[in-house]
Amino acid sequence: MTQQINSRLSAFFSTHRAALFTLLVLILLPFIVGLMDGESPMMVFANESGNSKFAQGLAIEIFILALYALSFDLIFGITGMLSFGHSMFFGVGAYLTGIAIKTFGLSLPATLGLVFIAAIVQAILFGLVLPRVKGITFALVTLGLGSVFHIVVMSSELGPYTGADVGLQGVIVPAFISPANERLRFYFIALTILILVYLIYKRFVDSPTGRVCVAIRENEGRARMLGYNTFYFKLAALTLSSLTAALAGFMHTLYQPIVSPNIAGMGFTVTALLIILIGGVGTLSGALVGAVVYRLLDFGLRRYIGESASFISGAVYVLFVLFIPFGIVGTWKMKSLQIKQGWQRIQKLFG
Amino acid sequence: MSSYFRKNYVLLITLSVIAALFVAAAQGMEKKDFVITLLRGLSVGSLTFLVASGFSLIFGLLDVLNLAHGTLFMIGAYIGWTVFVRPDTFVDLLTPLALILSGFALGDVYPLLATRIRLGLSVKRILPWALVLVSILIFGFILPRYPISIWDVENYGQSPVTYSFMADQGTRLLAPVAAFTEISAPLALIGLLLASIIGAFGLSLFNSVTQQQFKLNWKNYAGFAILLLVALLTFIFNESLTASLTGLSSNWLFVIAVLVATLSGAGLGALIESTLIRPLYIRPIYQLMLTLGMSAIGIEIVRAIWGRPEFVMPKPVFFNGSGGVCPATNFADWWANNCSTILLLDGRVRVYNEIFIPIVGLVVLISIWMLLQRTRLGMVIRAGVQDREMVEALGINVRRVFTMVFALGVGLAALGGILAAPSMGLSNAMGESLFLNALIALAIGGLTNYPGAALGSVLVGLIQQFIIKYGQIGIAIPFTDIIFKPTPPLVPASTVLLMVIILLILPNGLLGKKE
Repeated sequence: MTQQINSRLSAFFSTHRAALFTLLVLILLPFIVGLMDGESPMMVFANESGNSKFAQGLAIEIFILALYALSFDLIFGITGMLSFGHSMFFGVGAYLTGIAIKTFGLSLPATLGLVFIAAIVQAILFGLVLPRVKGITFALVTLGLGSVFHIVVMSSELGPYTGADVGLQGVIVPAFISPANERLRFYFIALTILILVYLIYKRFVDSPTGRVCVAIRENEGRARMLGYNTFYFKLAALTLSSLTAALAGFMHTLYQPIVSPNIAGMGFTVTALLIILIGGVGTLSGALVGAVVYRLLDFGLRRYIGESASFISGAVYVLFVLFIPFGIVGTWKMKSLQIKQGWQRIQKLFG
Repeated sequence: MSSYFRKNYVLLITLSVIAALFVAAAQGMEKKDFVITLLRGLSVGSLTFLVASGFSLIFGLLDVLNLAHGTLFMIGAYIGWTVFVRPDTFVDLLTPLALILSGFALGDVYPLLATRIRLGLSVKRILPWALVLVSILIFGFILPRYPISIWDVENYGQSPVTYSFMADQGTRLLAPVAAFTEISAPLALIGLLLASIIGAFGLSLFNSVTQQQFKLNWKNYAGFAILLLVALLTFIFNESLTASLTGLSSNWLFVIAVLVATLSGAGLGALIESTLIRPLYIRPIYQLMLTLGMSAIGIEIVRAIWGRPEFVMPKPVFFNGSGGVCPATNFADWWANNCSTILLLDGRVRVYNEIFIPIVGLVVLISIWMLLQRTRLGMVIRAGVQDREMVEALGINVRRVFTMVFALGVGLAALGGILAAPSMGLSNAMGESLFLNALIALAIGGLTNYPGAALGSVLVGLIQQFIIKYGQIGIAIPFTDIIFKPTPPLVPASTVLLMVIILLILPNGLLGKKE
């Protein structure tokens, strides 16, 4: 019996070697960066400012972006619905959190519940549009809904609540997860949420429901012919995606001192598109890889090049579309055998 | 007849509701306000139509959703501005541009040349890359040293803003003539020509060589010879050409600016289609992403060359008269004095913005309609919109038609850009707002429907302008004393809402065909 468990465990470890290794690195990351900077783990635990704290901040931003990109991958990459209003999903979560805590003084769990309810409601709102319009028209209608939300957020009438074009600021975050004083705790909470959501997504895509979603992407007419009411499956994917994006927005508001109205605009939807394009459309893990690459690239470019960074990101975008259309993860999955063979040949070459 | 009503009752009801709203809106304001608002709406509608019609032609035939259309509209405006305000820069640019293009005009000669040269397999694999690299290196050496009298974005005294302002005041400020100091003139010219030929040869080698034999005749060299001639002539007569352009009345200069902007827009469109979009016809969703990336790059290029601040392009003299009897009360007075404004039914109407632009819009509408209905090309386009594979099967070279339609669409957008420049002013964001308008107009009118694009554009323009006007005078809500004033953010929101409502009622737009 124990032998069987042992063999299963070793099989599990050998198949998920890369994922487990990444997880280990992510858990140890704050301490490794701290040690490289000459800080002991105790100092990292005490949240003293330094490189480690900075790296944690960057990592938290990446986790939030990854959550958001995952939610977009579910509806665009898996179910095949091109929505240009996806930033609205994120924006509703972010703004509702800010307003609930700041103006109405709700507690954190109550806020989270409210955000989830709002996410389901807006998924149903998008779902109302679904049966009527398809393809490009769906993209246009969602673009319209998204821009109405952006305009509402930016309008000066709602200024006291949303901060109009300045952005929402002054949200008091409960002390036990304050990103300034308890950043390490925030880091681990964000990491846990990301891993849990990723596992749920994996499970969803492998479930019968997820399989039907993939079938809808490939050929909706055929899925309908097989007797599936595609509307419900699309609605399920949208709801899950909306919940995740709202959760990402919730974390964004807690982490960032200012919620800029840009996150509700068209540009932020394009960010999600760019991330999953870099990582690989429809691969889920591509969203995680893409978020890392995108955030680090953006950070580096803004630091060393400055204003014209979006020229480079536009160029990266075009190059990816033309030459690496399946993204990093997708290309790796297709070419891993060739890459391994090439690596072995190089190893042979050097003895 | 009754079957027509039964089939289209939703459309008819929607149209009559819109018409009723329009009449209600007209009741609420004075006559002069109404005239001005109507004309302004038509003006915005015409500009929207210029963008939307090109976009819908491209989408209809090629199935490419060109999200960079707004950026190309903006680029057209900036190119036109350059010709209008800084003719010397334009003349300076002609020589190097003609030389760079000349090598690519020899396109048909290279495959023949490639079959004549016998090379080993490994050399054959490396050769294209090496040639392109050499050409890039030569370009990189010569182009930064080539003298072009240009503005300076960093220096306010020589920035586009200043040049534009001075041109508006009537004194056209010119930068000192740039001379060949860092590089000798023959070396620069011959170098550019050589680099262009080498680069074009290298690029042509990337395509697998077809074995078909064809004979070369003078036509294959004509383009090359013309471009070379243009380069030489503009180089020799650079100064006299500049002097004659600056001496020209601003009306003719404006006509030249419009022509250059439209043609360079069309050229840019053909270049984009044949290099970037053509490899992606098998992956439609990636085309969309590609154009999205291109629009980001285009905005950054414009920012790098022309700078971030907004500036205004002066109007040509024909529309810019003042003093005397201005504002003119009738058209004869206006014609005699070229007044910038005219009184129509007691309303002060700006002639360029509110009369000239709608007329151009109408002319374009009719001429494209004629092109689509009466010519062979139009027939191919209409057939291609309905069934692309069938047209291909009939032996028509659809690929060339694709390039032409893309060029036509982008040319229309660029024409819209240069026309909008004197009324809207030039800014980095001018493309985005108009592109959103055009998208909404197309969604309302029917994505691939040409009359639908016109109807949608006019609707969008009118609704926006009426809401702006009501934002000033307020709407008295019946049975209450409240006067509701729509705020500026409501302007885009209202058209978007209209789009969503119409798409929910008629998923294919007002005039779109059911699938």
